[in-house]
Amino acid sequence: MSTEARFAAGDWYAVVGDRATVLLPGSQRGRVATLWDLADSGASADALLDALLADGLSSLDHFALVAHGDDRTRLLVRGAPTAAVSSAGGDELVSADPGTAWAERLVAGVSSIRVTLTGDAAAEHLLAPGLARVSVVEFGTPAPAAEQATEDVAPALVAEAEAEPEPAVTPEPEPEPQPEPEPEPVAAADPVPEAPAAAPMQFGEPADDPTPTGETPAVADDWSDRDGQTQVGAPAPDFDRPPVPGQEMAPEVVSQPVAALVFSTGDVVAVDRTVLVGRAPEARRFASHDQPHVVTVPSPHQEISSTHLEIRPGAGADHGSAIATDLGSTNGTVLALPGLDVEELKPGIAVSLVPGAVLDLGDGVTIQVTNP
Amino acid sequence: MKDVDLHHGASTDVGLVRKVNEDSYLVAPPVFVVADGMGGHSGGDVASRMVVEEFQRLAEAYDPRRGAELVSDALARAQARIIDYGEAHRALQPGWHAGTTAVAAVLVDDDGVTKWLLVNLGDSRIYRIVDGRLEQVSVDHSVVQELVDSGQITPEEASVHPERHVITRALGSPGGIQPDFFLLPLGSVERLLLCSDGVTGMIEDEEIEEILESVADPRDAADRLVRAAVAAGGRDNATAIVVDVVGLVKDATYDSQRQLESLESKLGGRL
Repeated sequence: MSTEARFAAGDWYAVVGDRATVLLPGSQRGRVATLWDLADSGASADALLDALLADGLSSLDHFALVAHGDDRTRLLVRGAPTAAVSSAGGDELVSADPGTAWAERLVAGVSSIRVTLTGDAAAEHLLAPGLARVSVVEFGTPAPAAEQATEDVAPALVAEAEAEPEPAVTPEPEPEPQPEPEPEPVAAADPVPEAPAAAPMQFGEPADDPTPTGETPAVADDWSDRDGQTQVGAPAPDFDRPPVPGQEMAPEVVSQPVAALVFSTGDVVAVDRTVLVGRAPEARRFASHDQPHVVTVPSPHQEISSTHLEIRPGAGADHGSAIATDLGSTNGTVLALPGLDVEELKPGIAVSLVPGAVLDLGDGVTIQVTNP
Repeated sequence: MKDVDLHHGASTDVGLVRKVNEDSYLVAPPVFVVADGMGGHSGGDVASRMVVEEFQRLAEAYDPRRGAELVSDALARAQARIIDYGEAHRALQPGWHAGTTAVAAVLVDDDGVTKWLLVNLGDSRIYRIVDGRLEQVSVDHSVVQELVDSGQITPEEASVHPERHVITRALGSPGGIQPDFFLLPLGSVERLLLCSDGVTGMIEDEEIEEILESVADPRDAADRLVRAAVAAGGRDNATAIVVDVVGLVKDATYDSQRQLESLESKLGGRL
């Protein structure tokens, strides 16, 4: 089958390598960086599966893995995902039976696979190697038969959802319907309770907030600024931190340092995650598992800015080496690469560092790049 | 970690519209928390109180060298409790949800240096005064913030956008939590403000800055902020915590060095 792939936006992660794709719920963000590191380096399906299961199955309720061999396609689904497979041998709907670890198929002559994670949206965006936030992923060219197969997907999911009484059972005899003052099309279109944040949670309405006096708030409906209106919706189909323009998204933490930084102050710091250097550096918007190294350097003449320079493991073409970005410092950063003229870093533009490179931040502070 | 003297003030008000105050806060130096619950009576108020209780536990056995880890654990425990609580309720009342935002500030020991570790989930906010100006440190986890970030709408349009109350991350969300952490040097925070959207949704940043700049006592400053939010309409529960690090000399090494040098030159090198 052609491995051309498309997706519909959602809040699952798709880790897409050349040979295999792993799909994980939004809550598995911690595993994504490791998997991307592997997938990007062309790891096999077995290697990916190994990394996926490294922390055990108990913390991994749902995933899907699609690996493209030369003539056969391997497919694993655990938990909620459902895959509609069309091949020369006919159509099949693959999902894990409750109580089993996962469902696995090795199918020859596959013409298309549609993996449904949440919802049943049309997969209209092209899925390229990298990371994406998805709800449905489709490989190959869907035959009309495949479309038919997908028709079965949504009901199957609903049936699986019986453990969650939420959407199906409404035994409340009270006339009060689920209060829904503002129609929420996403919620209505998404019957899958497993969907983490894709089905916006409707938090308590004003009617849920019985007042001691039984009176309703003396405000009209257009007073919407209360907590009663606050909802949790789906995050945008993207990482939360915008990448440096023109840069591929780097994994936050890599298992092996790509370089070591020897500071003129005597500090030695490994680049296995983002390193921030400055006179009084500030780290912003990091997750608990990717806390940056923050290196404070003295700057008696204030030639060095408070958060001056970022050095982190590179991605894509820079995979395996460290890259440095001047963060818009007042006095700039000078880079000396062995055998080349010194150059001043352009603010916000990352440059690749090779062993032997020296960065000069001013005030006599230099950083020498060495092998880890 | 060096002993740091913190002065602080906190204030909360149910507002003029709501009958239940679903905001909770904790002042247990060096741990400060504001949580804005969602879900109505015995929903949001319980969820926000669970967050405060877990940070209270953290404060009782606090090790500043493990700040980030302990804060993550406290959030994870609160998340687990809120999820359990929600599931117990949903068994009786399908579709019921409780959740809460959280912002917290704790002092941590980062390789022997005391710093502020800040954390955010949802649309409660952390501000600081730096160089005499108000700056929002946290970035809202909300649909409109994402639209602003991607350039689809302006901040002005965000304040009237129909989806301005839809938050993308919260404790109690079944998809799990992804708190944003921030690590700031003490010297870059002249004054710290933690508040719920009942403050920021009612008064402009300019007014917040004016109050934080003009009211010296942090207790009075927190009171003034909450009273201003109520006076502006009080459409939501409003909560504010103001924290000052006492005796803080900004950029101590640089200033003292320069002062010494300039004194030396005035005295003709007699020092």
